[in-house]
Amino acid sequence: MAEKNRAPRLGNSADGVSSLLASLTCILMGLVIGFLALLILGWITLAQDGNTVSFGEMLGKTWNSGFKAILSGGFYKTANAMGMGVRTEILQAAPLIMTGLSVAFAFKTGLFNIGAAGQYTVGAYFALFGAIVLKLPWWACLLASAIGGAIWGAIPGFFKAYLNVNEVITAIMFNWIGLYGVNTLIYQGGSGPMYNTNTTKTYTIKQVSPDSLLPTFNIPIGDKGYFGKMFLPTIGIFIAIAVAVLIWVVLNKTVFGYELKACGFNKNAAKYAGINDRKNIILSMTIAGALAGLGAGLFYLSGSKEWEPLVSTSLPATGFNGISVALLASSNPIGCIFSAIFISHITVGGGFMDAGIFPSEVSSIISGVVIYLCAFSLLFRSGIRKFFAREPKKAAGKGKEADA
Amino acid sequence: MWLLLKYTLLYASVLALVALGGMFSERSGIINIALEGIMVIGGLMGVVAINLFNAAGIPVVLGVILTILISGAAGMLYSSLLAFSAVNLKADQTIGGTALNLLATALAVVIAKRINGSDSPKISYNSTTNKVLSNLNFSFQIGPLTLNWFIVVALAALVAAWFILYRTRFGMRLMACGEHPQAADSVGINVYKMRWCGVLISGLLGGIGGMAYIVPAVGDWNFEIGVAGMGFLALAVMIFGQWKPAGIAAAALFFAVFRAMANIFDSIGFLNALNWPKEIYNMMPFLASMVVLAFTSKKSRAPKAEGVPYDKGSR
Amino acid sequence: MEDYVIEMLHITKEFPGIRANDDVTLQLKRGEIHALLGENSAGKSTLMSVLFGLYQPEQGIIKKDGQEVKISNPNDATALHIGMVHQHFKLVECFTVLDNIILGAEPMKGVVVDRAAARKKVMELSQRYGLKVDPDARVEDISVGMQQRVEILKMLYRDNDILIFDEPTAVLTPQEIDELMDIMRGFKAEGKSILFITHKLAEIKAVADRCSVLRKGKYMGTVDVANTSVEEMSRLMVGRDVQLVSTKDESHPGDVVLQVDNLTVPSKVSKKDAVKHASLQVRAGEIVCLAGIEGNGQTEFIHAVTGLDKPSSGTVTLCGRDITHAPIRRRSKLGMSHIPEDRHKHGLVLDYPLEYNMVLQRYWEKGFQQGGFLKKRVIREYSDRLIEQYDVRSGQGSTTIARSMSGGNQQKAIVAREIDKDPQLLIAVQPTRGLDVGAIEYIHKQIIAQRDAKKAVLLVSLELDEVMNLSDRILVMYEGEIVGEFDPKTTDVQTLGLYMAGAKRMDKEG
Repeated sequence: MAEKNRAPRLGNSADGVSSLLASLTCILMGLVIGFLALLILGWITLAQDGNTVSFGEMLGKTWNSGFKAILSGGFYKTANAMGMGVRTEILQAAPLIMTGLSVAFAFKTGLFNIGAAGQYTVGAYFALFGAIVLKLPWWACLLASAIGGAIWGAIPGFFKAYLNVNEVITAIMFNWIGLYGVNTLIYQGGSGPMYNTNTTKTYTIKQVSPDSLLPTFNIPIGDKGYFGKMFLPTIGIFIAIAVAVLIWVVLNKTVFGYELKACGFNKNAAKYAGINDRKNIILSMTIAGALAGLGAGLFYLSGSKEWEPLVSTSLPATGFNGISVALLASSNPIGCIFSAIFISHITVGGGFMDAGIFPSEVSSIISGVVIYLCAFSLLFRSGIRKFFAREPKKAAGKGKEADA
Repeated sequence: MWLLLKYTLLYASVLALVALGGMFSERSGIINIALEGIMVIGGLMGVVAINLFNAAGIPVVLGVILTILISGAAGMLYSSLLAFSAVNLKADQTIGGTALNLLATALAVVIAKRINGSDSPKISYNSTTNKVLSNLNFSFQIGPLTLNWFIVVALAALVAAWFILYRTRFGMRLMACGEHPQAADSVGINVYKMRWCGVLISGLLGGIGGMAYIVPAVGDWNFEIGVAGMGFLALAVMIFGQWKPAGIAAAALFFAVFRAMANIFDSIGFLNALNWPKEIYNMMPFLASMVVLAFTSKKSRAPKAEGVPYDKGSR
Repeated sequence: MEDYVIEMLHITKEFPGIRANDDVTLQLKRGEIHALLGENSAGKSTLMSVLFGLYQPEQGIIKKDGQEVKISNPNDATALHIGMVHQHFKLVECFTVLDNIILGAEPMKGVVVDRAAARKKVMELSQRYGLKVDPDARVEDISVGMQQRVEILKMLYRDNDILIFDEPTAVLTPQEIDELMDIMRGFKAEGKSILFITHKLAEIKAVADRCSVLRKGKYMGTVDVANTSVEEMSRLMVGRDVQLVSTKDESHPGDVVLQVDNLTVPSKVSKKDAVKHASLQVRAGEIVCLAGIEGNGQTEFIHAVTGLDKPSSGTVTLCGRDITHAPIRRRSKLGMSHIPEDRHKHGLVLDYPLEYNMVLQRYWEKGFQQGGFLKKRVIREYSDRLIEQYDVRSGQGSTTIARSMSGGNQQKAIVAREIDKDPQLLIAVQPTRGLDVGAIEYIHKQIIAQRDAKKAVLLVSLELDEVMNLSDRILVMYEGEIVGEFDPKTTDVQTLGLYMAGAKRMDKEG
């Protein structure tokens, strides 16, 4: 008996290793497919222009002006003057961590939050409203964004808990309702209080309410710092990391986390244990929504982009990429930090490719392929586990005997 | 009013086609949330085919038939990715479908840009650019009413779906796989094969539906916006129609009215007088679907085994 | 040379980590009723699935009429005229009876299913064998006994002459069991060969010619039923002498602990009420058993008493307090423990480690948490203690994921958790379902120990042996009503059966 107790977390750590390896397999296969896509695209483009190149040349070209950029991400040499590339990567990683956390948190409760995109949209509206109209300080605007997202997350939760409508369907519908609603509210026939008719975008926060912008930081390398003086990254990334740690603590150390996960694993057993499953569904979706909304706050309060109500006809990719982030991380909150940085890395890198030959959406293809592979990463995982489990088969057999 | 009828029928046929596709898939036990992506791929390939046939100058009737077939085939090919992951690899069907939706838009934009040889993801196929085969060839007039061939296709699909489901051996076995795959297996039905068939049919209908959405209504399409949620609306139509052909037909008409209003609200007197922004009308079908689902879903009866991967080993 | 219609020779079938069949041989003579005896998880179902083409064995061959055959799917089995009534019926609930019978063997007229021809054939069979069914009823609307007839008709429709019955009596009343045995004898008279899988010795004695025994996946031999005593067969099955009757002292009931009055619970599947004006009392120091055929409202009754579902009228009182509308947590605090019917659905969070499952009903208590944070060390110590005290065996002790444990040990863990709460009332619903004899004996002892410790015990069981064995008082439930009350010392199984089938009922008091 005592001996058994001494090997406590073995099962769980082996689990962690196998899911990490499975995620890396997904990434690797995604990258390979991305490379092949670039190769084919480059070939076609050059053929369209009437150029003939040898296979070796094509490989070199794909690597140098395409794939290398994706792999280097923000660090791609020609694009990283004054830390611009890295700044962009950090800027995009912060909201991705949040949408990733949003999806991961819902997963833990057994819900699929495909609505992160809509919650992100509504969060963005709340953040911009707080900044441009109410001119609140940055932390209040962040809070507002989280509230906006929370409302939009609570709705599918409510539909699921009380009306028995699948949260996926509701979330999808409310994604579109949110997008059209936010566009309408911002534009208002050209007379919206946040809408700048000259630029056809929302007003620039820096001009109307500088206090609403997130504080910035710099890394003291070189005499002007790594990022120079003009465009500094915001502390959004640190907020996101802190939230990820917080979520990890909530899920793994608290009674609340115990209840949420029990609901996610087995709704009926949770009910049997006296846990209010309806309350938990709504709460979990609300928190998931708040996380996604906060992500939008972190992005839009950095002042690097305005909302364009007339051309925003598709849902923000950050919301959907959150699904990749969560899946790659096997819904581990800490893992979300790394997988978000990876997704941001290849997305930013994709933008640095030679646009004449390689469309930047190739990085979206990689991300899509990665989700597709993640859908059956369980298969990889059990394969990997089997590979490692060949040794201690004897012990397993012994356990079986004890069972029988 | 003719205009409203035109667009209602147009969108009803789109929704009916795609929802029927979803029905075949779910009746076999596979949740097909990838319909949106399948529509995008079907639509893209259909448009590409129009331009190719236009350049080749083939007869119009042949061109129309062939492009419709090509869009269906493209949808089938793309849906096989879902079937592979959901049936053979027993992956989570919702996640797999979501991945295919994201992938479809990315793929479509990349391909469209490559075809244009520029940074624009917009492809034109209107009568100005295309002299032989253009979007106009897909419509015909009956008096003041403009109809398109996809309405005919949708009607045929509805009748065929009813017949297949309730009268043929294939339909009976398909439904058994969606309800109780172990039972189907125990009487020698190949569940994997039936589920593959269900998904492939949904790909066929979804692909044609994608083209039906894009081609007859406008003369060029920006693939960055995919099909703007039409595939998801079709899912709502399928649920509202209770996974039955007749119900789907009725539900498709209902939602199509809302969708059609977004196109023509400014030409309908009293709607125009309201002076609501266009976005409200865009939102309308989605809102309507939520209201309808909220009231009906407690009674709704989805195929019992849908979403559950079938594993021969475990029983 | 014997006339064997089916021979399964030296069959070995392995699953990850377990050898379900280990060199098993089974020989079925033409025109005999052959019983396959073994405990739960002895490998009977696996062996039959091999015969039916659902699994492929690693070793061994199958012969039909002396010729080696390969059965790689149910179609092959059907072609060899082998048919099977599965323990869990394989019927599509929203299909009609007719469609279920012909599914997979549909008669065709062009591309259309010829339902008229099918109906004619089904009705002929139904008449010939006295298996009355309504071909147009939906399976979800008909009784379990009727569903079994549909399964039997499925075999007959396919002209099978080797019929496998997998635990067919578990869902039937004693009277229905007699009917089934008559039907089986009828098939035998027609020259059909029958394999009858069971762990009930009395039924084997009643109907079978020969009996093959499996124990833990191994073949123990074949005996002639007429020349073999029940005790001998039992020893072959379990491997030792079994004390099937638990000994217990006279009960001395004390105060009323649970009082249920006029409880009515709506059904989830139909418009009718699942429980109708049911009343009962359970006193301290007695075991009250709610007996009945599956699906007669016991589940809904217990759900309403334990708070998993809401009753539409009536009251539930625990130790003098009205808990009719109390949330589950409050019932638990007031001293109710509940060993649920379905340990996988309600009893355990299978993906949680064992220690988390051990506190599933108590994690919120002051001792196990502080300020919203779990006290993991306390939980570990508590779980270790329960594991030791109740002899719960698992691979990695408290950290074992519950899913990886055997059914018997999962159930032991639940029993440990519920008993260690020191409840006033223990509700145990089918606590021994699917377990082997050792685990059953253990759990029976624990339940009796609770009674002797002056706890009130409400037991729900479908196994009449268990009912007769454990209870101090028996209540029979039929179609949601309590139709009779019995003293196990003065009644017998046949009498209970009549009440369980609704053939008889005591007049309701007042």
